[in-house]
Amino acid sequence: MVAVDMERVGKAFGPSVALTDFTVHIASGELVCLLGPSGCGKTTALRILAGFETADSGTVHVAGESMSGVAVENRNFGMVFQDYSLFPNMTTRQNIDFGLRAHRVAPKERTDTIDRMLHITALEDQAEKYPHQMSGGQKQRVALARAIATRPRVLLLDEPLSALDAKVRESLREEIRHLQREIGVTTVFVTHDQQEALAIADRVGVMSKGRLEQIAAPKELYEQPTNAFVATFIGSINRVPGYAAAPSEWQVLDRQVRGTRGSVPGESAELGVRPEDLVLSIDDGPGQQGAEGTIGDISFLGAITRVTVQLSQGPRMIVDVMSAGTTHLSRHQRVRVCLSPEADHLVVMSDPQPVASGQVT
Amino acid sequence: MKGAFRWTFLLVLAAFFVIPMLAMARFAFQSVPVVLLTPETLLTGWSIQPILTIFSTPQALSAARVSVLLALFTISLNLVLLIPLAIVTEVKAPRMRPLLTALTLLPWVVPPIALVVGVAATFRTGAPWFLASVYSLVPFYALWAMPFTYRALDAGLQATGAKTLYEAARSMGASLPVIIFRVLLPNMTASIIAAAALTSAMVLGEFAFASLLLKETLPTFMVNFQRSDARAGLALALFVLVVTAISIGLVVRVLRKRGLNVQTTGI
Repeated sequence: MVAVDMERVGKAFGPSVALTDFTVHIASGELVCLLGPSGCGKTTALRILAGFETADSGTVHVAGESMSGVAVENRNFGMVFQDYSLFPNMTTRQNIDFGLRAHRVAPKERTDTIDRMLHITALEDQAEKYPHQMSGGQKQRVALARAIATRPRVLLLDEPLSALDAKVRESLREEIRHLQREIGVTTVFVTHDQQEALAIADRVGVMSKGRLEQIAAPKELYEQPTNAFVATFIGSINRVPGYAAAPSEWQVLDRQVRGTRGSVPGESAELGVRPEDLVLSIDDGPGQQGAEGTIGDISFLGAITRVTVQLSQGPRMIVDVMSAGTTHLSRHQRVRVCLSPEADHLVVMSDPQPVASGQVT
Repeated sequence: MKGAFRWTFLLVLAAFFVIPMLAMARFAFQSVPVVLLTPETLLTGWSIQPILTIFSTPQALSAARVSVLLALFTISLNLVLLIPLAIVTEVKAPRMRPLLTALTLLPWVVPPIALVVGVAATFRTGAPWFLASVYSLVPFYALWAMPFTYRALDAGLQATGAKTLYEAARSMGASLPVIIFRVLLPNMTASIIAAAALTSAMVLGEFAFASLLLKETLPTFMVNFQRSDARAGLALALFVLVVTAISIGLVVRVLRKRGLNVQTTGI
């Protein structure tokens, strides 16, 4: 059982703060993605866990053992880097062997392990090749094989797929997930690609400016973001003005719905609505529900079509509709935008504000 | 139009290098009075006698031997000092790189005469024996070749991504000696060879330090010899030039053959 606990970890590089009060508890065998824009501190968090950087404050425990003062080479973690960092002077086999030799594994067992690694990463025919003779995807598979060959306690992946093209990236991320499940190693995966994170992680930690904003299962993160940053960072979201209708309900687009936080009577706020939580109807006169607007752009994205609508009194909205039902839509058409009946829980994007006098309740 | 310009440029460049050398070759290897070295006499009277004269001069051989040994010692001293420095800087203190790059250029800012006078004054009082040996040139040459050597090594480390290789090796549990000897040094071969080639080319052609310190190396011998036998002296100069060019060409060829990136080595 190898659980990872990082407790209130802080780190600054000179005047710039890289990590503040970073706390995360990772269960044994779990795959956690740290996701965030560049410079958000995700790589710093990973490097502190790996031992390449020392935290200014806070503690790191792995399997209950404090990592303070434990050198990188004694932690027995596997690490995969963005730029592969295979040893250019060694073949695939020798690259995998390197860690095993450093761990003083017996020669027979080393050969067996290398063969098994080559097999599970489907690299048998690349065994005697040098890194410069392989493609990016193959190189990263070697890096993965090399990292897991020594049966690491924790596997750390630092943007392992960002140097690869889209197709390879997608198949390799599935492979990583599959392998990780099979060997059950506790894994931390750093990425700035939200699709990647949502696709493979058990839990995703969203980071911004050195802070962990929210850590939750992908679905929960998408449906119940705790703040505006997470809501906007994960997927697309519309900001729609609304106001408090009842203690925990908000009035938005002619409907009353629950929000991620309660409301103060009379309070107005911006509410986040996902594009798929909106529906379009043809505007045929007054008395209809929803906000009226004009279609700006229609972009076909495969199964869904993304429609932008400029509200007559309000912001521009993005609405995702099933492509099959878009034949009747055209640019400059008058439409109404409503909340879909399934949308019953919206993200309140703004913090509570003191109520100004004279506001509508 | 563009092609014509390129060819003209190349021809002018070639003429700039080839004509002086051809003139040198004619002067050295044609036993024809200088006033008669015209296009009509281009093919007459060629002989390799001048170079044979050199080879039969014992002083020439000992000067050559001294220069080769100086080159070897300089290369060894520089590599021993600068490989660890370059590795430590790249891996442990990358922020020091700009400072070191500037520092290693310093020897070129100080003129040789100032360096020699300064060092001679320092050693004459404390350790006069130091300047007596011809090998007292080694530290001067090492200092003088430092900019080439450091740049070549630094470029090599950068090109192989030494920092991540070091981190990857550490994360796999390797000790520092293992990382240096199995990972970093093998991937620096190209830059080490390049540094050595540049250093030896420099040492084999260095005149100022040797002359100021009154040592007989190949270049100082060449200059003195030219005074007594101008033809043989120039023949030797040309010979050394051609041998150096061929050796550097061979080094580049070997590097290319091994798939090493020549552009990152400073050659």
